[in-house]
Amino acid sequence: MAGLCILFEPEACVGCHGCEVACKSWRKVELGLKWRKVDTNWQGIYPDVKSVFSSKACKHCEEPECMLACPAEAITKEELTGAVVVNQDDCIGCRVCLQACPYDIPQFGSDQKMQKCDLCHNDLVGNGQESDNNCYVPPCVATCPTHALRLVSVNMGHTLPSGDN
Amino acid sequence: MMNNCNVLNNEDLGLNWDQALALASQKGERVIPTLCAMCGPIARGCGIYAFVQEGRLTRVAGMRECPVNQGALCAKGQAAPQWVYSPDRLKYPLRRIGAKGEGKFERISWEEAVNIIAVTLKQQKEQYGPESLAILAPAMRTYNAYLKRFLTVHGSPNYGHSGICALQRAFAFMYTLGDKPEAQIDQSDLIIFWGRQPVFSGPAMNAPKALLRAKDRGAKIIAVKPSVEPDVAKADIWVPIRPGTDAALALAMLYVVVTENLIDHEFVAKWCYGFEQLQEHIQKYSPQWAQEITGVSAEQIYQIARLYATTRRACIDLGNGVEHAPSANDAIRAIAILIAITGHLDRPGGNVFNITGVSRLQPKDITLRERLTPEMGKKLLGPEFPLEFQPFIEGYTSAYYRVLESVLTESPYAPRTIIAPGTQPAVSTRGSQYVIKALKKLDFYVVIDVTRTADMNYADIVIPVTTPYESDHPFEMFGGRIMARHKVIEPLGDYKSIYEFFLELAVKMGYGADFWDGSIEQCLDDQLRPLNLTYAELKKYPVGLEYEKTQPRTYENYSQVFNRKSPKLDQTPYLPHGKVEIYNTYFKKAGFNPLPEWREPPESLTGTPHLAKEYPLILSDYHTSKCFTASWQRNIPYLRELEPYPVIHIHPQTAAARDIKDGDWVMVKSPHGYMKVKAELYPGIRPDTVMILHGWWQGCQELGLPDYPLLQGGANVNIMYSVDPRKAYDPLITAMSSQTLVEVKKL
Repeated sequence: MAGLCILFEPEACVGCHGCEVACKSWRKVELGLKWRKVDTNWQGIYPDVKSVFSSKACKHCEEPECMLACPAEAITKEELTGAVVVNQDDCIGCRVCLQACPYDIPQFGSDQKMQKCDLCHNDLVGNGQESDNNCYVPPCVATCPTHALRLVSVNMGHTLPSGDN
Repeated sequence: MMNNCNVLNNEDLGLNWDQALALASQKGERVIPTLCAMCGPIARGCGIYAFVQEGRLTRVAGMRECPVNQGALCAKGQAAPQWVYSPDRLKYPLRRIGAKGEGKFERISWEEAVNIIAVTLKQQKEQYGPESLAILAPAMRTYNAYLKRFLTVHGSPNYGHSGICALQRAFAFMYTLGDKPEAQIDQSDLIIFWGRQPVFSGPAMNAPKALLRAKDRGAKIIAVKPSVEPDVAKADIWVPIRPGTDAALALAMLYVVVTENLIDHEFVAKWCYGFEQLQEHIQKYSPQWAQEITGVSAEQIYQIARLYATTRRACIDLGNGVEHAPSANDAIRAIAILIAITGHLDRPGGNVFNITGVSRLQPKDITLRERLTPEMGKKLLGPEFPLEFQPFIEGYTSAYYRVLESVLTESPYAPRTIIAPGTQPAVSTRGSQYVIKALKKLDFYVVIDVTRTADMNYADIVIPVTTPYESDHPFEMFGGRIMARHKVIEPLGDYKSIYEFFLELAVKMGYGADFWDGSIEQCLDDQLRPLNLTYAELKKYPVGLEYEKTQPRTYENYSQVFNRKSPKLDQTPYLPHGKVEIYNTYFKKAGFNPLPEWREPPESLTGTPHLAKEYPLILSDYHTSKCFTASWQRNIPYLRELEPYPVIHIHPQTAAARDIKDGDWVMVKSPHGYMKVKAELYPGIRPDTVMILHGWWQGCQELGLPDYPLLQGGANVNIMYSVDPRKAYDPLITAMSSQTLVEVKKL
């Protein structure tokens, strides 16, 4: 079975936050919430000091802890794309998923329900931006000037590279 | 890439025109190809596809066909809809009815507003002469040509150029090398980013990609600046220089290459004038001497000078950071000399000349440069460059701050009307305290902008104008490529474009014959005539038109460039000897040092040690940020979330010594003023230096963030610096200082 995910290469990121704002603007994400977040992390001490950027969003885990923990069974993993998605109608806002997620991804807006990156899975098929396998490219990936984000298809059963997605 | 996954988007970013149309049709939207406007309307704009639902701009994607951004877009570009629909937008013209600064206005019609300005200007022209009008120039915008044209037809030379950006580098380079040569990064094995911000100055443009490409192919990257920004994050060597001391570093690098004989003798013998004088002059500027001033170790100065001089393909990408110090002209020409004598000028991978072939087609220049006269020059309020070097590239220019200062000093005379089109003097130049006083005293102040501005409350008339998303003109062009702006949405109120404003004002002034009788279409057609195009025809090309291929580059064009004529009215050449002017005879004749020298900022650890006890830290500011353009756009929630508060970068040790924790509100105090801002503990900054982004004043309604005071106790760094005419300027190129000494205390 194949799935999709977004890989992040820290060496290619220049910390412009384009992905973060593209996500918010295209998906109309509420103020205060972030489905994708760029952070600066410091390494070393002055003057041998570096900043390293990260761009984090839901990893769409193969075995999502959030999905396993959800008492309302509101979280599912899509067959076709592998996207981990929340059914807003079923979510009861209990935040158990936030405790379960090892990456601190779930966000809660004014409606108290969980929201996060859904890989733009509703747009993933046949949506103008056609690629090899008829695939839409999420705005965060499409806007990144330095290709630090890439949409990849992954063969399930393999380990994802270095957790940088 | 790993063998268990396939990359689905290889090199393609954004959308192409067909994909944009398909996406729009699928979503029941309209899509309009145009150019991003978040850095202001500029020639080298990023192409975008703007999506419109029920008449409303909803989102944008990068235009893959546009060579500037090739489909990519930055945070600012993506946030465009929130800027267009901000509650801070100006929707109709305003006339002040309260006291200056009070903020009481009444709504008037567009027609009435243009009339009031025309009547006032006509009356003042008669009473005080045409030079009583000054227009403050914003950054390099497409509409600047219209401002210059209006001034020239009116008869005023007072175009108020910043004095701190671009022209300062251009001046020192042109009068040393006859050109401002570009760093040819893609061919280089060693790149020095010096006072330059290659990422935030245009994240979707070429510079960040070129930096990463250079890194990938193993080029050595050196970054010279006081704090770690994204370019430093990618660099092999960081040179953490004290703000405002670039001239000392450049002089010491010259010392190393001259005393160690790391020069290109053949080039120097054939193409340089005054090397012997430099050899003698440079002896006093050793790396040991520079170490005390710059805070960079002598060892590192030797290292980078030797690396640069001995790497055949090496270039220096010099940024705006060097243009804000009293020694700016000397820093820039010392670097120009360094490039030349080490054999890196107009050679592959070095700094290469901007050569435009004579056959290159250009739209017509509408600035009316041909009408400038020596008499106009004599009326400059505060020349940005000494009169013997004017007009320069942008025509006659007064320095922005000096225009405002002359309102207070009435020397050489008082301007009576100042127009601020897309620029905010209270936060965009130094000495905001004096700027506000000047605006209070000024007879007539006109603000033109798309959103409310920092000093709008001092305006007599406020003219709202379209964002470029609400306008179908003008065209933008760079290289051999040209594209029309296409209107995305209708204007949201009673206003027109800034281009239409100046055309209409000109007609009301009686200048219609010089302003196409007010017709923007005729104005654009006139400009396009050399390309054999009409604007209507150009608009048929959704993603623009490449009318001329870029010509292949040639190298070592010395005799051509070294004999270039200057833009002065008598067209004297830039270089009197047809060679690199190491020993500058023009500067000497005008009363300045013919060789580069060191000059301290108004306040510094080495120049004013008596102040260092009370004010032990150096303060300077960032010109560029990842999320805002200059002093604009703090009102955009998606951007403001990235940087909600004005923060001062302070090293953790420096903070700990003052019991300051990350996120604490602090007081930053200099001999000239104080700010209240938040501390950000920043491991990547010199421990003796603190830095803040300039341009803070505006709140963000959607996020509940208030405006900050413009003067004392706010977050406007421009109140912190000296504007003493004897100390705060480079004597030749203005270059107002942005360095002072401060103490930081927890509030």
